[in-house]
Amino acid sequence: MGLDFSLATPKAKKPSEKGGPVLYDLIVIGGGPAGLTAAIYGGRARLTTLVLAGTLPGGETANIDILENFPGFPKGINGAELAQRFQRQTERFDAKIKTDVVTKVDFSEQPFIIQTAGKEYQARTVIVATGAEPRRLGVPGEDKFFGRGVSACATCDGFFYQGKRVVVVGGGDSAVSEAIFLTKFASEVIIIHRRDQLRASKIYQERAFDNPKISFAWDTVVEEILGDKTVNGVQVRNVQSEETSVIKAEGVFLYIGMTPKTELFTDQLELNEWGYIVTDRRQHTSVQGVFAAGDVQDPYYRQVVVAAGTGSIAAMEAEKLLSDYPGRY
Amino acid sequence: MSLLNEEIKEQVTQELAGLESPVKIVMFTQEFECQYCSETQELIEEIAELSDQLSVEVYDFVADEEKAGELNIDKVPAIAVIGEEDYDVRFYGIPSGYEFSSLLHAIQMVASKETELSAETLEILKELTEPVHIQVFVTPTCPYCPQSVILAHKMAIASPMVRGDMVEAQEFPQISQKYQVMGVPRTVINETAHLEGAAAEPMVIAKLQEVIEG
Repeated sequence: MGLDFSLATPKAKKPSEKGGPVLYDLIVIGGGPAGLTAAIYGGRARLTTLVLAGTLPGGETANIDILENFPGFPKGINGAELAQRFQRQTERFDAKIKTDVVTKVDFSEQPFIIQTAGKEYQARTVIVATGAEPRRLGVPGEDKFFGRGVSACATCDGFFYQGKRVVVVGGGDSAVSEAIFLTKFASEVIIIHRRDQLRASKIYQERAFDNPKISFAWDTVVEEILGDKTVNGVQVRNVQSEETSVIKAEGVFLYIGMTPKTELFTDQLELNEWGYIVTDRRQHTSVQGVFAAGDVQDPYYRQVVVAAGTGSIAAMEAEKLLSDYPGRY
Repeated sequence: MSLLNEEIKEQVTQELAGLESPVKIVMFTQEFECQYCSETQELIEEIAELSDQLSVEVYDFVADEEKAGELNIDKVPAIAVIGEEDYDVRFYGIPSGYEFSSLLHAIQMVASKETELSAETLEILKELTEPVHIQVFVTPTCPYCPQSVILAHKMAIASPMVRGDMVEAQEFPQISQKYQVMGVPRTVINETAHLEGAAAEPMVIAKLQEVIEG
């Protein structure tokens, strides 16, 4: 293991707000690329800006081994490193970052109210950038074996599978790139995919096909995760032949897509049929003064660069609203 | 060559500029069979240079057995972060990668005694009558892990009954195996109970209550 030292988690700042709730020009909920970009723009626009980042600063970006398509890094950049750079840049412009988890919001009137476990905040404008979280399979054995063979984080847990056989479920960029990453540790990686071809970008596909440790189970879905104390295999079904069989493996890594984190907003903002926040092209939501950016409103692209872009739009729109209606907001 | 580059040093200096009171970092090392002992020592010595409030004591795990016993140190490399008193805040294995921020967090928290735990949690911790040992298993590449480590350390600071350890799973494979660590973070409470993943404060405290009430 190469030693490096990351400051990616925000430090404990002495709470400056004693007494009643503090009113911010802009509160950003979420600390991924969308939220932090919004905060950089907000801070530079001299809005008093607070980021309530939740438990994972950097968001899902922090989970990516190497990002090869974020412009400006010709050799690629580690996701955690990039997240840390976003964070430093945000702090440079006086936006505060807290790791508090938001428990409740009230967008029904101005100022908007945002509650965390211990505090209440008020905001003139809000940008929701809570992102999306890895989807679960919803099959027997998944919960029981989570942390005992079932994982959604290859960078966290890859180490525990040295010399072992693992399966990766999924066929997108995450699934294929993490499968490639896992070959550093595992003796064999089997990608289980429900279709007969991968959805991942061609460059990842080529690398996976060329990797002698990687093999594929096509047209296959996982029906159960098997094991005793820890995982020893998965029961799968071929969707073409309807035949079931067992694939032996000690680790199961899940990369079957994302689901938006919108449970706080179900009765506050308009969501679409899949639970994503509905926004217009300028990132406005159904409530004036509340904007959304990043994966929480993007079922299609889920790219760091897109998330950052929508974050900047949301912040510019928030600033515009505040300056157009200085008394009201 | 130093472990921390100039950029990180500058950030750490800023982070530690506001330390309210002196903090002592006590480290235990061992000459042989310790993968990262010398790097851990180098790391804390480099950090200590960045703040006047920080001091370092280094002990040999074997030769200074008595001191190790006094601080409940049972493996190396070990770091005890000690403020006005010893709050049982420990790191086993080098706090590199994401865990570096857990170390800085620990230093700041023992200096300020500010844990920001909720009133409910503090109430439950105050009622504790028997010792609670929280071990958080991590890997340095796990972005979810520091939150669990920091939470364990907060509870250790808030209650004299609680010990909070970070344990770097890769450096202690036997111990990881003993606790069946196959994913991180994994929080083990009093040997028996465990939580998978970055569990939030209410979940950890509920588990802790479960353990005590047996």
